[in-house]
Amino acid sequence: MGPNFVLIISATIFCIGALGFMIRKNPLIMFMCVELMLNSVNFLLIGYSDFLNSMDGQIFALMIMAVAAAEVVVGLAIILTIFRTRHDLNVDHINVLKG
Amino acid sequence: MFEITYDLVVFITGLMAVLASLGVILCSSPIYCALYLIGHMICLALLFLLYHAEFVAAVQIIVYAGAVMILFLFIIALLGGRKEIQEASFERFMALSFAGTLFGELLLAATVGPTKPIQGAVDAQVLAEVGSAKVVGLELFSRHLVPFELASVLLLVAAVGIICLAKFPSAPLKRRTR
Repeated sequence: MGPNFVLIISATIFCIGALGFMIRKNPLIMFMCVELMLNSVNFLLIGYSDFLNSMDGQIFALMIMAVAAAEVVVGLAIILTIFRTRHDLNVDHINVLKG
Repeated sequence: MFEITYDLVVFITGLMAVLASLGVILCSSPIYCALYLIGHMICLALLFLLYHAEFVAAVQIIVYAGAVMILFLFIIALLGGRKEIQEASFERFMALSFAGTLFGELLLAATVGPTKPIQGAVDAQVLAEVGSAKVVGLELFSRHLVPFELASVLLLVAAVGIICLAKFPSAPLKRRTR
């Protein structure tokens, strides 16, 4: 499968992730949608690293994985802290920053 | 009878990845969303394998489908995965139209205009001889050493941040009367 297949699949998954981030109210599922978007970009990098016979794409994908792991850990801790103080997990109800 | 070719396997795996990502955003229960996301990660790891990135595929399985998703499942179990009522609203329509526009633009960018081919030195034959992990390691520790070390600093910062968040709990917020 050529570059167009990779581009189209990656664009589809990215748009599904963006849509899910906007329509869901649960912050956990919003995080999952962020993961979807990061993964679609990873797939694009890996595919093009194969087409261009270069390793840079794979190195970039590894860096994105490290950043995503750090981001997930911090984000989930913040969600837990919000749940501990407010006992509510709807992002529409979280409208003050003061704890 | 049709025969199983490389292209067919790639196409079906990509289709399954897209369907699993649709399941993530359409399921009401968070636990099902997490399971669909695990399926999506595994499909993507298979695609990485099919595009000659064996090391990244293994990292994808271990880090994403293993560690990150276990973390998600723990948090869902801790917070009680409540179902979310989904109804059609104007905001949802706006979000859908925005995502549709984005998708159309990306498709246009994908199909219009040729990309200039750049040929590197590491083709599939070299990868098959040397091995993906060795090539990635050589690149990572020679040309990309500084970003690699910076990533370790980033992970350290994340760990310290977690400890700060977990160690100093804030007092429960009193429910305000509206």
